[in-house]
Amino acid sequence: MKTLADLKKIREKAQEDMKLRGGNVRIKIVVGMGTSGIAMGAREVMKTFLEEIAARNLTDVLVTQTGEKGLSSMEPVVDLIEEGKPKVTYGNMNPDKVKKSGG
Amino acid sequence: MQDISLHLLDIIENSVRAEAKSIKVRVINNVNKNRLRIIVEDDGTGMDSHTLEKAQDPFYTSKEERIKKVGLGIPLFKQNAELVGGSFKMASEPGFGTVLTVDFTLDHIDRMPLGNLKDTLLGSIIGHPEVDFFIHLIYRDRAAEQCFHFDTKAIREELGDIPLTYPDVIEYIDQSLLEGIQNTNMEDV
Repeated sequence: MKTLADLKKIREKAQEDMKLRGGNVRIKIVVGMGTSGIAMGAREVMKTFLEEIAARNLTDVLVTQTGEKGLSSMEPVVDLIEEGKPKVTYGNMNPDKVKKSGG
Repeated sequence: MQDISLHLLDIIENSVRAEAKSIKVRVINNVNKNRLRIIVEDDGTGMDSHTLEKAQDPFYTSKEERIKKVGLGIPLFKQNAELVGGSFKMASEPGFGTVLTVDFTLDHIDRMPLGNLKDTLLGSIIGHPEVDFFIHLIYRDRAAEQCFHFDTKAIREELGDIPLTYPDVIEYIDQSLLEGIQNTNMEDV
């Protein structure tokens, strides 16, 4: 059973981490989670991003969800915002593309 | 939408868009009453009676500034519940929030499955770190009652400034939800 004591350990480890690299967010990923996005598999895309972050131990990547933005025919749609670079929007996303992205 | 958990995700996104700070999600699998009930309660902007009625109309959307002219999320959920002898109720008060109660007949042959509740909740919790989620899963049958509570406010207080997307935190939430879903027999409903 998971308890809050487990979280305390995670926090201590994370704080050590943060001290080492300054706690910056390098990349922000925004997954479109409107009705059409969900119907086209946006939840699985979101889940795969989370799995990859955990598997590759990425501590400087944030993932959030947002609503529809009028690109229904391209769903699932993902925005990638990297520090100091223009925003890139990816359409027709799927879990395989997520796994291939970045490194 | 293929299952109830995807509808639930859609409804949670509505609450977030209504600027909810706190979202309560209850899933009650009541074998005694042959009923699967989903309740989503938020403290968002709420709707007046006119908007509330319009929200159930497929050709209405609150996103007026867009080219988009349909809003299918709520009407489809309502239809999928009512088609199997269930019901769909929405109550709202401007400035206070919205409560949505959806019932499905548990053993109806055409009822959509509950689906992957864990991924819906995991994505919502981590994708909206600014929102407090209270998750409450209940399983009831003649012999017993099993409950699972999950409160993200307590977790965030414990974590301080560590983001929910920190790898170990993702795993922690994922595991906690998995245990809760298994303990309340919600894996394969």
